[in-house]
Amino acid sequence: MEYDVIVIGAGNAGLVSALTLQKKGKKVLILEKSKMAGGVSSSFKRGIFEFDISLSKLTNYGNEENKGEIFHLFDRLGISSKITMKELEHSFHIIDKEKKESYTFPVGIDNFIEQMEAYVPNSKVSMITFFGLAEEIRDAFNYYNEQQVKNTEDLYLKFPNFVQLAPCKTKEVLKKIGMPEKAIELLVATSLPEKNEDENFVSFALHLENSIKFPSVIPTLTSHEISSVLEKEFLNMGGKINYFKEVEEIEVENKMVKKVKTKDKSYLCNHVIANISPITVYCNLIKKEEVPKEAFGLQNSRDLGAKCITVYLGLNKSPKEIGLTKYQYIILNSLQSEKEFKKMNQIKNGNLYATIRNNGVEVSSREGTTEITLTSYFYGRDFEKEVNSSNYYEKKQEFAEFLIESFEASTNTSIKEYIEEIEIATPVTFNRYTSHPFGVVKGFNEKGYDNFLSRYFTEEKETFIKGLSFCGGFGSRASGYENTYLNGEEVANKVYEECMEK
Amino acid sequence: MKDIIIEKNPKKAKAKFDDLFLAREQIIKSASKDAKLHDSIKNLTNTLHPKNIEVEVTKIVEETKNVKSFYLKRKEGETLPNFEAGSYITLEIKINDRIYKRPYSISSNPKNTQEYRITIKKVPDGLVSTHVYDNCKVGDVFTISGPLGNFHYNKIRDEKDVIFLCGGTGITPILPMIYELLENQKVNSILLYYGNQKKEDILWETNLEELQTKYSNFKVKFLLTEEEIENYIYGNITEEILKKENLNGKSFFVCGPLEMYKSLNEIFKKLDIPNKYIRHEIYKEELENLLRIEHKLTIKKENQTYTISCYENETLLTSMENNHINPKAHCTVGECGFCRSKLLSGEIKTEISSLRKKDIEMKYIHPCVTYPLSDVSIELP
Repeated sequence: MEYDVIVIGAGNAGLVSALTLQKKGKKVLILEKSKMAGGVSSSFKRGIFEFDISLSKLTNYGNEENKGEIFHLFDRLGISSKITMKELEHSFHIIDKEKKESYTFPVGIDNFIEQMEAYVPNSKVSMITFFGLAEEIRDAFNYYNEQQVKNTEDLYLKFPNFVQLAPCKTKEVLKKIGMPEKAIELLVATSLPEKNEDENFVSFALHLENSIKFPSVIPTLTSHEISSVLEKEFLNMGGKINYFKEVEEIEVENKMVKKVKTKDKSYLCNHVIANISPITVYCNLIKKEEVPKEAFGLQNSRDLGAKCITVYLGLNKSPKEIGLTKYQYIILNSLQSEKEFKKMNQIKNGNLYATIRNNGVEVSSREGTTEITLTSYFYGRDFEKEVNSSNYYEKKQEFAEFLIESFEASTNTSIKEYIEEIEIATPVTFNRYTSHPFGVVKGFNEKGYDNFLSRYFTEEKETFIKGLSFCGGFGSRASGYENTYLNGEEVANKVYEECMEK
Repeated sequence: MKDIIIEKNPKKAKAKFDDLFLAREQIIKSASKDAKLHDSIKNLTNTLHPKNIEVEVTKIVEETKNVKSFYLKRKEGETLPNFEAGSYITLEIKINDRIYKRPYSISSNPKNTQEYRITIKKVPDGLVSTHVYDNCKVGDVFTISGPLGNFHYNKIRDEKDVIFLCGGTGITPILPMIYELLENQKVNSILLYYGNQKKEDILWETNLEELQTKYSNFKVKFLLTEEEIENYIYGNITEEILKKENLNGKSFFVCGPLEMYKSLNEIFKKLDIPNKYIRHEIYKEELENLLRIEHKLTIKKENQTYTISCYENETLLTSMENNHINPKAHCTVGECGFCRSKLLSGEIKTEISSLRKKDIEMKYIHPCVTYPLSDVSIELP
């Protein structure tokens, strides 16, 4: 066989899993349908501006002295010294529109707790407890991960809190540990739009701790820098990428992967890692009779994650002249996350995430200019109901205008008159370039039985076709740069073991 | 850290923990086993952005001495994708068994999705334009791309008073914008300066005059460089001409030959008009003084290596097309990034303004705007 493993899609997780396997001596081929590597981890140019498509910040990274998980991963991949990262000053900056208040949180757990105490007196003890629990959850996961034969029998003895907390909802636990209402609101607000108080505490705690424990960073030359370095490293290790190669079929026989087919070529291969959605794989790439019914059951039982509208703006004024001092603004109608989460069923819901790239990398664009990205997430089917091919371009403008005006009103700035370049991305845009079902950008929703914990602990049982693995935003760690990078390596290690079994 | 107690009994706690995964199994079991993906967004994407469209030429109109319009209808009878005024399509054309791809602006009204009109001028050295102009007949079938490009009026960014400046066939992306802005009342006023050599070269003069009569907020001024006729401005667009207008708070859209961009850029600089107010259709910097000096071009593509001749006055893309190597390409002016390739060795002259910063560092190029200055070796994606 020409290749040990074929990776479908050169997104974050695809690149990391391919590089990991290639470094371990496996022969890997990546088949990528578009013209370059990275997927949404890339950039595009308009005039003098270069916009990052999707990265607002890379959490869990840290620095040379204080390395986060992603830094360690990049060390293992041999790329950490090849990317110039810029550290961000704050972990969160939240604006509460209703109360006209804002909250800025620093990096580091101790600093975060202090700041919370300043905003919410008497929150300290509960905050310490919270981070203690988060630590135990992390240890439990790592322990489970390192087990050769996965079992949950001794988990209770080693990690009693973890086992008890696993079935609990976020708000329930935060209340139980005596956290004041206001602190709960602020804590949960940091994790919208993906997580809300009704959801699983374990994945909430892990996610939040990740964003606070280590400084977040952004690559100087946008996420395209990371993707380019990953691609180059993979090629240097002898890996192969074919571009403009869309996979049309994964041939399966007796529930085992046999071949991968593109329009003009067929590759014999027993191990496939799909860095694309399992929905696409099961529904479109494998003959129906070869897919076990449970596979469809699993996909149909899940909720797709958030879609978004993103507006990329190049302004001909500096952030200072405009009055924008922070790198990221989390702008929420209110801190009542349950209400706001429900509101996200509407496209124009008023909650938005703004990134001012020059406040992270000053030279991101020419002096006297600013690159701003505004994103608003939403769930549901309103977009398809409201938008059709004849009103698409009008609607795009309408959604963008709403975002710009919301941003101006909540930051008390004016940006509209300085717009030199504008680009607007919708679910259609993301669907066009990534083929994500319905153009979602957040994989599957981490909801109820389908949270990170459940996916993790059932992964083995839910391998329906031998030799077929999934990684990426639709994978077990859920979406987000950090998750997909880590997931890429985990899946690669699992596939490596499978390759060695023979 | 003190332990928190939610479930005192370890056995019960463990059972609840295991229940989580049993519950998941149950949900999967009871979920629908429907094996079809009903993706309504994908349908919308396919309608708006098809990769390729088979079209048939249904009508050919000789507009002026060297300019013909071609009306294209979808072969399968359905309508064509809606497009933003100012868009172009890439026309794929076979000449002597070689495939060439060239961009042409859609010159028809964007509200008409029954057919697209493209308008092509026969230029002396233009291999593709000459071929289409001379040989294309009604009934011919072509493959075109979906609508592409970034030369559009944007109501968030652009002003409500617009000045269009164009020359020759540079009117082609502008005319749909004029239709769209007037018919949908998107702007307060439009002023069009349209330059040509002679009166007979003016495209759609009657149409433009009719629009002027119909819409009081639309004014057109024709310029002629080789004829002096009453009511037509003699010469090129100058600083003096523009200065007569109130230029504050206006957006400029420019499309025309290279000399026009050059002189207008000077004028905009002198008049202190910020870039924000100036939109250009992309254009290729023509390289002066380049001679037809021959070099070797080595191309790596997947597992193959090809070596062909290339010339200092010809882009790498054209050299490849001439030699039956067909990299993906759309805009041919360095903007769309479709032909992005890696330079392995050799001296080149290229346009880097549309390249990502990391790509410049890693020696990527756009072959459609790259000229060889020595033997060159590149790798195609």
